[in-house]
Amino acid sequence: MAENAQQQDWNAITDEEFRRAAADFFATHVPQHLRHLSRRPRWAEVKEWYLTMSRHGWLVPAWPKEWGGMGLSQSKSLVYLEELERSGAPRVMDQGLMNIGPLLIARGTDEQRKRFLPKILSGEHTWCQGYSEPNAGSDLASLRTEAVIDGDEFVINGSKIWTSVAFDASHMFALVRTDKTVKKQAGISFVLIDMNQPGVTVRPIRNIAGHEELCEVFLDNVRTPLANLVGELNKGWDVAKALLGFERIWSGSPRQSTLALLRLEQLARANGKMDDPAFVDKYTQVTMDVLDSASAYEHFAQIMRTGGSFGFEVSMLKIWATETCQRVTELMVEAAGDLGTLSGEVDVQGELVDVLYPFLDCRAFTIYGGSSQVQRNILAKNVLELPS
Amino acid sequence: MQATSTTEAAEQTQMLRESAADFVRGSTDMKKLRERRGTLPGYEPGLLRQMAELGWLGILVAEDHGGLGLGFAEMAVVLEELGKGLLGEPLASTVLAARLLQHGANEDLKARLLPGLVDASALPCVAWQEGLGGLDISDIQTTARQDGESVVLDGTKRFVAGAAGAAGFIVSARGAQGLGLYWVDAKAEGVSLRHEWRADETPSGVLELKGMRVQLQDMLCPQGAQAAAALERAVDEAAVMASAEMLGVMEAALQMALGYMRTRVQFGKPIGSFQALQHKAADLYVQQELARAVLDDAVRELDAGSSREEQAKLASRCKSRASDAGLRVTREVIQLHGAIGYTDEYDAGLYLKRALVLSGWLGNSSAHRGRFARLTGGVVTV
Repeated sequence: MAENAQQQDWNAITDEEFRRAAADFFATHVPQHLRHLSRRPRWAEVKEWYLTMSRHGWLVPAWPKEWGGMGLSQSKSLVYLEELERSGAPRVMDQGLMNIGPLLIARGTDEQRKRFLPKILSGEHTWCQGYSEPNAGSDLASLRTEAVIDGDEFVINGSKIWTSVAFDASHMFALVRTDKTVKKQAGISFVLIDMNQPGVTVRPIRNIAGHEELCEVFLDNVRTPLANLVGELNKGWDVAKALLGFERIWSGSPRQSTLALLRLEQLARANGKMDDPAFVDKYTQVTMDVLDSASAYEHFAQIMRTGGSFGFEVSMLKIWATETCQRVTELMVEAAGDLGTLSGEVDVQGELVDVLYPFLDCRAFTIYGGSSQVQRNILAKNVLELPS
Repeated sequence: MQATSTTEAAEQTQMLRESAADFVRGSTDMKKLRERRGTLPGYEPGLLRQMAELGWLGILVAEDHGGLGLGFAEMAVVLEELGKGLLGEPLASTVLAARLLQHGANEDLKARLLPGLVDASALPCVAWQEGLGGLDISDIQTTARQDGESVVLDGTKRFVAGAAGAAGFIVSARGAQGLGLYWVDAKAEGVSLRHEWRADETPSGVLELKGMRVQLQDMLCPQGAQAAAALERAVDEAAVMASAEMLGVMEAALQMALGYMRTRVQFGKPIGSFQALQHKAADLYVQQELARAVLDDAVRELDAGSSREEQAKLASRCKSRASDAGLRVTREVIQLHGAIGYTDEYDAGLYLKRALVLSGWLGNSSAHRGRFARLTGGVVTV
């Protein structure tokens, strides 16, 4: 479909029709060699694909049409992500698409929108997120990277950690401390930083799954114009909270555990475990856990579809989906027996299976995006109304 | 009576929910419940008559037979609300009889029996299990021997829910052509009924049939695939409805615990402020919501009248989750209360015991897991 997606009114068709259109687009355009990669690719590898999406108007599903987006409703945005995932498309530099783009549209100035949004569409700017710090993880509000005003610029000193793909980012959006005298959330500002300047040092961090995706970013007297402040000074905490509600649904989607389940089934058929009643009982349990995860996810997706809203109860999704995914991969390691001690793809009766990678990879799922413990705190305080 | 649009349907369901919640507010009486324990019939006939007057026994009975001709969504909300007040018995049991009758072949028999179910004047119940119980409907020894035009039943049925106070029994028995379904009047010769006591001290029937002659007009389903299909379908439907009651049971139990946690002070603080307990409560909430999500899916599938196979899978998923979640929540609720939760005087134990009954009835979690595995052959698409 060469016709630019911008001209279509996607919300006028049903979700199912849109799902077909999205599946079609991805099937046609995702480069074969980039499908179903087991690792996150570098920007250089996916830039061409990114630009293809941009050219066809399929890059930014949730942005309004006036800013170059598809203008999709929240529920169709979910469909877009689901089909993108299903197609095996590689992950691109998506912080601009999913986070800072929508944030500038919602909370930025017109000048900021004009300055930054087109460059996201053109791929000239790529973004990373500077939130967590070595001393500020779950307790993000205690962050210490400081920004001091010097003339018409901020001078920033500190460091960020767990910043995904910072090495491929031209820009960072960051939460920085601009007032040390007030309550911690009340002294935080949201700023945009050009990464291409002296004083910015990126150090990739190798994770236990063997990938270097996360980074530490050191900021030594890094400068950014006051015009790069998003929202008001010291009101950055609220700005950061304004990001899309469907991120909370998306992080609780059953997609990862479904994929893990398929791999588990593949292994169990290859090594004969499917004939072991004890294994089948455990396998059936995790299968039902995944299916119920999907039912719960659909419940919230349906609320979005019908234009409703939901509150903090959505936190249950991430807890269940991510912990279920871990249980599936744990069962896979168990079912693999000795083969579960080997790293990389191993031959299981002619089938190539990587047992350890899914297991190691998903240890992070219950940690990032609000750890399982934080999600439980959220439920306890806001949904169950338990006292602090 | 059936709503014509989804908004109408939603309003109707909401009205039923409010009506059932009102009923519970006015009728739940834990003192009376405790006094009823170990007695027959194990429920209050007066309350059942009120439910009949409200039309609830006929929710899943076609209008042709005097029912409301509504759906599983409607019965689910009523049972959920009743479950909160531990008033689900015997409505939940009547669902099995109501559905089995309607899936049966004998139209005259249906016409004779359904009105008595709907107005609670003559309640039928279903005797489909024996011996050690279990979910396999064909695992029975009760025989149906052809003798001329009639059939003679011999055997013992067990775990008969709703047997106390029932006008009669729909009995499954094995004949030369397979499983058949037969109506047996409670007062007939050759029938003897005694009771065992369930975890919540409501009665569970043990029905002995000796040379029990069943005439043609009392045969619900001839022996064969149709009878088996009818029974399996009714069990699935009732299992989903039992899951709805279980949802109510766990909701009320969790709310009880949360209320206690907010007010019970130890070490100078409400115990609800302790993170370990907060996390435990959060996990119970997650289980409750999973049970709700799969119940909604199962109910939708039953009301949509889609493939029997899909309904069976969802019924097993639903009952498995509800059984697990219900037991886990009610167990942990006792823990969250400390010692007081362990007393008979406190209500937490009553919820645990109802959860024990519901979790086992119509197939427990393990049985449905096994069934789900068999139904899917390990191939699942999400």
